[in-house]
Amino acid sequence: MERIDANLYLNLIRGGAAALAAHRQAVNDLNVFPIPDGDTGDNMYMTIQAGCGAEGSTLPEMAKSVSAGMLMGARGNSGVILSRIFAGIAKGLEGVKEADVNAFSQAMLAGVEESYHAVSEPVEGTILTVFREGAQAAAESKNLKEYFDHLVSAMNLSLQHTPELLDVLKKAGVVDSGGAGLLYIAEGVRDAMNGKVPVADSDSITTIPAAKQVDLNAFTEDSVLEFGYCTEFLLRLQRSKVDLDTFDEKVLSEWLAQNGESLVFFRDGSIIKVHVHTRTPGEILNHCQQYGEFLTIKVENMTLQHHENHMDERFKRGRKAFGVVSVASGAGLVDTFKELGADVVIEGGQTMNPPVERFIQAFDEVNADTVFVFPNNSNILLTARQAAQLYDKADIRVIPCKTLGEGYYALANLDTEAGDADALEAALAEAAGEVVTGLVSRAIRDSGDVKEGDFIGISGKDILASGGTPESATLALADTLGAGSKDVILVFAGADAVDATKLQADLEAKFPRAEVILQSGGQPVYEYILVLF
Amino acid sequence: MLRLFTDTDTDITPAVAAEYGYRLISMPYSVDAKTVYPYVDFDEFESRKFYDLLRSGVLPTTSAISKERYIEYFEPEFAAGNDILYVHFSRAMTATFNAMDEAVAELKAKYPGRNFYEIDTKGITTISYTIVREVGDLLKAGKSLEEVLEWAKTEVDKFAMYFFADDLKFFRRSGRVSGLAATMGTLIGIRPIIYMSQEGKMVSCGKEKGRVKAMEHLVQQVADLGEDFKSHRFVIGHTDAPELAEEVGKMIRERFGDDFPIEYVVANPTAGSHAGPNGVGVCFHAKHR
Repeated sequence: MERIDANLYLNLIRGGAAALAAHRQAVNDLNVFPIPDGDTGDNMYMTIQAGCGAEGSTLPEMAKSVSAGMLMGARGNSGVILSRIFAGIAKGLEGVKEADVNAFSQAMLAGVEESYHAVSEPVEGTILTVFREGAQAAAESKNLKEYFDHLVSAMNLSLQHTPELLDVLKKAGVVDSGGAGLLYIAEGVRDAMNGKVPVADSDSITTIPAAKQVDLNAFTEDSVLEFGYCTEFLLRLQRSKVDLDTFDEKVLSEWLAQNGESLVFFRDGSIIKVHVHTRTPGEILNHCQQYGEFLTIKVENMTLQHHENHMDERFKRGRKAFGVVSVASGAGLVDTFKELGADVVIEGGQTMNPPVERFIQAFDEVNADTVFVFPNNSNILLTARQAAQLYDKADIRVIPCKTLGEGYYALANLDTEAGDADALEAALAEAAGEVVTGLVSRAIRDSGDVKEGDFIGISGKDILASGGTPESATLALADTLGAGSKDVILVFAGADAVDATKLQADLEAKFPRAEVILQSGGQPVYEYILVLF
Repeated sequence: MLRLFTDTDTDITPAVAAEYGYRLISMPYSVDAKTVYPYVDFDEFESRKFYDLLRSGVLPTTSAISKERYIEYFEPEFAAGNDILYVHFSRAMTATFNAMDEAVAELKAKYPGRNFYEIDTKGITTISYTIVREVGDLLKAGKSLEEVLEWAKTEVDKFAMYFFADDLKFFRRSGRVSGLAATMGTLIGIRPIIYMSQEGKMVSCGKEKGRVKAMEHLVQQVADLGEDFKSHRFVIGHTDAPELAEEVGKMIRERFGDDFPIEYVVANPTAGSHAGPNGVGVCFHAKHR
């Protein structure tokens, strides 16, 4: 009888990842709002992909390694839940050398239990339900092949049923996106179990690597150039400069060896690749340019790199009592949060959910005893909480801000001298509750009364207004959200907004008591973000 | 005879100074490494132009004047046998008065018998403007120097000033307001209310959402703290926000009637460099600051 060992387990995961990769956009499009901000497919794919590099010689080791990768790579709510499902499965496989259908089924049920713990208030009609009903229905299977067949068909049935459980899905005429993503994964796993080789992910999307952190202050006005420059380039030999047939690269490599250190030299046809350490990169480059032209050049001050490698030692110094990590997308919004005092602004938002790992990196960067985190999106909140759970070098307090407006207003009210961490956290959460946020975007399909091409105003889970232009939709949305009785109407104009100044004037005329402030947010997808307080 | 001095940080213009015979000490600011002395390097303060520069993102700096410069101002008076009364902006806000103390000590040694008197308005811009004028008014009305110095001992603390600004980055940079939370940055839409303390410093005392609430806060301070303010000068100062200032004036009128004059003054560029544009404040006679 067939059993699952370490290698097969990893193959199954990879099969699931490949199947999801092929349907990622289909999952993205299962958006309850008819606007292009769905990203569940991307999030789940990046999450499972983070588990595909796992290593382990035994099944428990492999399952644990897959789970660890996914926990760190988790993005978005569905991604976080997915990572917890596999964390549960790994727990269930502890001590199991090779899993038969019973052992695997038990592990899957452990995954169900763990996944329900991932969220404070589990909602039925979501990925949770689809996984639970699938795992429960398949539990009676006689062998692994039958198990995965049952799993897929039961999950499919459960997925079709999700609109009956969740009104918001029914209204939008879609099934749950997280559940759909999980179904694609299950199908890929089943196919891998049946011996189908997963197709490599040909999709060009790459995860966004966090910007390399170089501490520029490590090299000051008084620093001494200890290590020189790490200089790397690709040089294309030019016919106009050398005879390609008779050119002897040894002459060049010997010159480089005499004029630099740690030389790595390599010729491939007319391309020469050089890596060399030197105090005078200009001389090296000028010399080499005699023979050709550069395709790429990278020159880095190694004193900075050196300090970078010693970041941990420097860690203790300059540690603050309180720090702030916030999430925002759009140049204007990122700047706004920085000006408000955020130490690190993680780029992200509805269409780009940062992974757990990025939060952990941000916590390191902040270097504070207590870090307040402003996720500013309901689909990032869970990721931030997971990161907080995994992090033990500081006291992380995630403020449950579900919108940019909530985060903005809460952060604006942060007064670190007003009390201890508990008091501040309570005050921030309270402030977040005092603000209303609205979003305006263009509908990309018909939905209810909304026609494709209309602009719709959203707040929370509801479409509250619509209009033929983003400005008219914003005005109507402001009215519905009670702008007339507010003190401040803050408008973040998106990257695509054109008539923002007129909108400001119209808002001022319509709501004379409120102060209307127009800011360039530069955010994608949403023409306008309204923040009322 | 007694010669009166004040400085440009008190918002006094040459025209107003001339009414009382004040000589003006020019307090400089720098933009793009170019130092400007108000009413020395220009005759009229083009406030819109200056504050528009700040709106465009320019952050001017201010600097203390030197001992030599004080000597240039004061020595001719001592040499001519005159005494000096200098009604100046807050000592607690600047290091410039150390240079002045040195200058005065040197001049007194050189001209024994000459006297130097000072009144610290314990404020800057509007509140100093108000006190400089009231001092001038008293002297004009025939009060003696001794009477005026005695008056100042209690009355300087009875002029209150409450104000708010649009953008905290100017205050943050200068570090001249205490009580602003360390992380407070550009609080778009949320305005700390700042007052001039009895120590002559700017202190934050709360914050309001939106302009209307912030303006209402100022009016409420007049209601809570105001004392006999109708028989004193009532001044609304602003950093190039005339509409906002008039709006506050209208609210003051609605609340307290129109049986007293309200004067509107634009904050001088040196003080304005620390406050930023679009700020407004009220100065009134009060129970205390």
